[in-house]
Amino acid sequence: MPKTTPTAPVPPAAERRRSRDRREEEATPVLPALRDLARAAGLRRFVAGALLWLPVSVIPLASGLVMKALFDRISDGQRAGLDQALWLCAAFVGVEAVRGVLLWVAWTHGVYWWNAAVTVLRVNVMRTILTGGTRRLPRSSGGAVSRLRDDVEDLAQLADNAVPLLGTAVFSAGALAIMATIDPLVTLVLVLPMIAVAVLSRALHRVVRRLHAHARERGMAVTAHIGQIFSGVLTIKAAGAEPALLERLRRHNRGRREAAVRDRLVTSMLDGATNATVEISLGVVLLLAAPSMRRGEFTVGDFALFTSYIGWLTALPRVVGSTLYRLPQASVAIDRLTALMGEGSSPADLSRPTQIWFRGAPPPAAAPPEREELHVLEARGLTVDHGGGGRGVHKVDLRLPRGSFTVVTGAVGAGKTTLLHGLLGLVPLDAGEILWNGRVVEDPGAFMVPGRVAYVGQVPRLFSGSLRENLLLGWPADAQATGRALGRAVFERDLAGMPEGLDTVVGPRGMRLSGGQAQRVTAARALVREPELLVVDDLSSALDVETERLLWRRNTGGTLLVVSHRRAVLERADRIVVLERGRVAGEGRLGELLADCAEMRRLWEADAAGQRPVAD
Amino acid sequence: MPASKTALKALHPGSRLLVALGAAILAGTALPLMAPLLTRRFVDDALGGAGTGHLLLIASAYLGLALAGQGVSLAGAWLASRVAWDGTNRLRVRLAAHALGLDMGFHGRHSPGEMIERVDGDVVAIADFVVAFLLDVVAGALLLTGVVAIVLTVDPAVGGALLICYAAIGLGMARAQRRAVPSGERTRQQSAALFGFLEERVAGAGDIRANGAGEHTVNRLHEASSATYRAWFRSERIGSGIVGATSVAFACGTALVLGLAAWRSASGTITVGTAVLLFQYTQMVRAPLERLIDQLKQYQRALAGVARVAGLLAERRTLPEPAAPVPLPAEGPLALRLEGVSFAYGEKTVLSRVTLSLAPGETLGLVGRTGSGKTTLGRLVLRLHDPARGAVLVGGVDLREADPGSLRRRICLVPQDVQVFAASVRDNLTLFREPGDDARLRRVLEEVGLGEWLAGLPAGLDTELEGASALSAGEAQLLAFARAFLTEPGLVVLDEASSRLDPASERRVERAMDRLLAARTGLLIAHRLSSLSHVDTIAVVEDGAIVEYGRREALAADPESRFARLLEMAR
Repeated sequence: MPKTTPTAPVPPAAERRRSRDRREEEATPVLPALRDLARAAGLRRFVAGALLWLPVSVIPLASGLVMKALFDRISDGQRAGLDQALWLCAAFVGVEAVRGVLLWVAWTHGVYWWNAAVTVLRVNVMRTILTGGTRRLPRSSGGAVSRLRDDVEDLAQLADNAVPLLGTAVFSAGALAIMATIDPLVTLVLVLPMIAVAVLSRALHRVVRRLHAHARERGMAVTAHIGQIFSGVLTIKAAGAEPALLERLRRHNRGRREAAVRDRLVTSMLDGATNATVEISLGVVLLLAAPSMRRGEFTVGDFALFTSYIGWLTALPRVVGSTLYRLPQASVAIDRLTALMGEGSSPADLSRPTQIWFRGAPPPAAAPPEREELHVLEARGLTVDHGGGGRGVHKVDLRLPRGSFTVVTGAVGAGKTTLLHGLLGLVPLDAGEILWNGRVVEDPGAFMVPGRVAYVGQVPRLFSGSLRENLLLGWPADAQATGRALGRAVFERDLAGMPEGLDTVVGPRGMRLSGGQAQRVTAARALVREPELLVVDDLSSALDVETERLLWRRNTGGTLLVVSHRRAVLERADRIVVLERGRVAGEGRLGELLADCAEMRRLWEADAAGQRPVAD
Repeated sequence: MPASKTALKALHPGSRLLVALGAAILAGTALPLMAPLLTRRFVDDALGGAGTGHLLLIASAYLGLALAGQGVSLAGAWLASRVAWDGTNRLRVRLAAHALGLDMGFHGRHSPGEMIERVDGDVVAIADFVVAFLLDVVAGALLLTGVVAIVLTVDPAVGGALLICYAAIGLGMARAQRRAVPSGERTRQQSAALFGFLEERVAGAGDIRANGAGEHTVNRLHEASSATYRAWFRSERIGSGIVGATSVAFACGTALVLGLAAWRSASGTITVGTAVLLFQYTQMVRAPLERLIDQLKQYQRALAGVARVAGLLAERRTLPEPAAPVPLPAEGPLALRLEGVSFAYGEKTVLSRVTLSLAPGETLGLVGRTGSGKTTLGRLVLRLHDPARGAVLVGGVDLREADPGSLRRRICLVPQDVQVFAASVRDNLTLFREPGDDARLRRVLEEVGLGEWLAGLPAGLDTELEGASALSAGEAQLLAFARAFLTEPGLVVLDEASSRLDPASERRVERAMDRLLAARTGLLIAHRLSSLSHVDTIAVVEDGAIVEYGRREALAADPESRFARLLEMAR
């Protein structure tokens, strides 16, 4: 039961904040998430990819042995060795050719897994946001995009890193074994600087984590700012505020540069350390092998083999280093993606098994749930405190019998939209319960959906694509039902004026439609779902009087919950709930409220005063 | 492509930084180049029976060289990333400025998510590449040149073979790259489309969830991801083919050099130490060359990015700058006249031969069904579009000849959808411009009825608003009014400006609006007749034409007028 006692000693929001703080102190474990991700994106493909890459990494062992043989022939200084030397050169080319072909195959094969991995993460995040029941909506869509791009790629990259890690590890083990048979002491000494690099990476762990999070944050600030420049382009252009916004962009840019350069420098230091290892190692080989080379125990061929292997051996500390350096990044990425999914999500949700549809189309979405007839919807003590920010709604009761027309009204900021959002599970309730035909609704976000409820938001949200796609969004409706919904939304005249009809492309965010058209399309989107309860947040805001009147006339009879402050709507209502600063200031029929609710009188008279001069 | 040249010019870091960077890269190349010369000495001397002390000295010199090389390359990395970020920051601002200058038609075709990808995503790809280019490509090329030069002096025949070999590899790579660019471009487009999709759906998450369209949207995401995968697969197949082939070609080069070395050594022309030197050089070249090829992927992305950046820069504004800009009258209310104005979006005629006239200080109410062309008319008055035929004159100046700065100062819009920026209240009021004095901002907020709201904010004017969710739609409308009050315009266009207000708030705004319009010309686009209570004239718009036009009182009094019928309906 989601019911919370209003007198709970610790408000849930504060509790959530505290647990988040606690989590921030220790990094989120990355490995379980990666394991699940590898599994979800196709473990067999992942393993196959790793097995394909393995020879690519290991073949240089053979190249080194060929080199050793070649240089031993050369240093023999005998003419008879020349033939053999040339054959060895040919063998070298053959070995490398095999490696080249394998590399091409393995790489091409890996593209599938990589894309599957990023798709699994994006699908899981979006599925949780869009179907995961009651939870808060993401705040900024620009910020969300940057997370779905960068953080997702960080995670996939780390999982992908496991493949070269395995390859270089196998190569390194082989190379060290071969080198040890030649000169165990030199080999042993060569291991030391490599261990030093690994230790150094480990030590820089925290610094890298902090710097990277900072750089990412600054990057997001830039992305978000660019996003709002272009979503507010009309406001900005009309006001001629372009220079000021660009100046702010410059400031964000500078902040990002500082953070990114610092991030890069620490990364380079790690890289530099691994590169230095090779150079130093070669120096060490020269130092230690000098006496035995004089004695002829350490041949030129051995030296060539060491030179050849040490070059490849760098890959190990480098891959280990880059894995170690990506680990904390991935931990940040997991935290941020989990946060993006909203409260109640865990990192495990990110890599839930998900079917991938790169070949063939996904099956159509599941059939809508059985229609469940509404007799009465009740809400008791609904409270949303928005983290104690003073806004929100407090202990609101509602009762919507079948066929009733309920209007929520109130001044700006009274909490009308928040109340609807709470009821629909678009924001978690801090207290209170919702009853559908007397039965408690456990998860409003999952329950208050079609075929029970449909919703028309205050700001129309349309998507790039056709009118039909925007209207149906996968809802199974025939032409007749669609036509009916369009009629009830008073869109039939607009549609008749569109030569391409329902195939008309509406443009990004529906920008090619006028504000009123967009709003009526979203109304039709809800109506085509033929809900038992229709929830409408101020539909009238972009509609003219005539259109709106027509729309309400065509939608009488259903159960309606509507936010409005228009007189015509208030007069039509069976029941009005007046909100004042998040609390119910009065409820009842218009006449009753005008008699004994001061706030209703104030709103009503203000409206009347606004209209009278025109009517005179 | 001149546009891509402009794009790249923005990346130029200034000569001093460039010199420092050049020095770091040169030193970073020269130091490792000297190492094999020491190994040759070492091998030859060791085989020749030199003393251990002498060998140890050479080995120590080798170590010192290695350490110095690392230090220098670290400095190079720092410089390169600074240079890259400076340059790409400039490019980003330039792109944003250019895109902002494009007309609303352009912005209607491109979503904010897509613009993020084009102004930031593409530029980040370029930034990543510039760093990699300086460190891996330029340094790598220098190293290759150095190696060839040294080998040529050591043994001209081997050097010649080496040179021909590298030239062939380089040529082949350049060829292959040209094939790889278009598929890289397609990958980039697909990915921009994917992120545009995600941005729209996240912004509309509430509508999707409450209307049970989540699963369907996830299916659409699968389709977009699949298209991205297919584009990616095609481009990577080419890219990795190039990597594999180059690696094999390079091995052929090494084998050729070593075969020659074996032959020269057998005939006694070169020492064993020289053979080792040749081997070390081919080895040394291999790593940077592989890194260089590894950058191919980014190079493709960056080239595609540059092409797209250039494409954006090549977008022309359709509103030409006036040759001899005429400033609008600097003070007082402005007259407005539309003379036979027609306008069409593509094929679709929106306005046809509209003629209107407003004396300074007069207010006009524009009513009509949604989609009748009212909003477009407002945009023409703001010169967000130019009319296809006819002219819009403000203060007697044809807007096509008006000075853009004075136009923006003197004509002000209160839009239908208010943009609330994720920034402080102060920045939201001034739209990021110089704030002036806070007392005035507070007074204006008080005037529009947001005084109480301001008092409730934790940090007053410094409070950071988190985008649209920080304000209710009605409060956002009030904020837009406050913005208008601050600019002191001579002509105000109000587009559905009070539509989301409850009557009490609307009345507060109307009182303030009366004051705003008192000494100004006003164009009120409204669906709610209640907001037209104070206008002087009314124009009824239907299907892009004015079908009724007259004094408000006269129209309201005439029961046959459309306006009177609308009033009757609103009662």
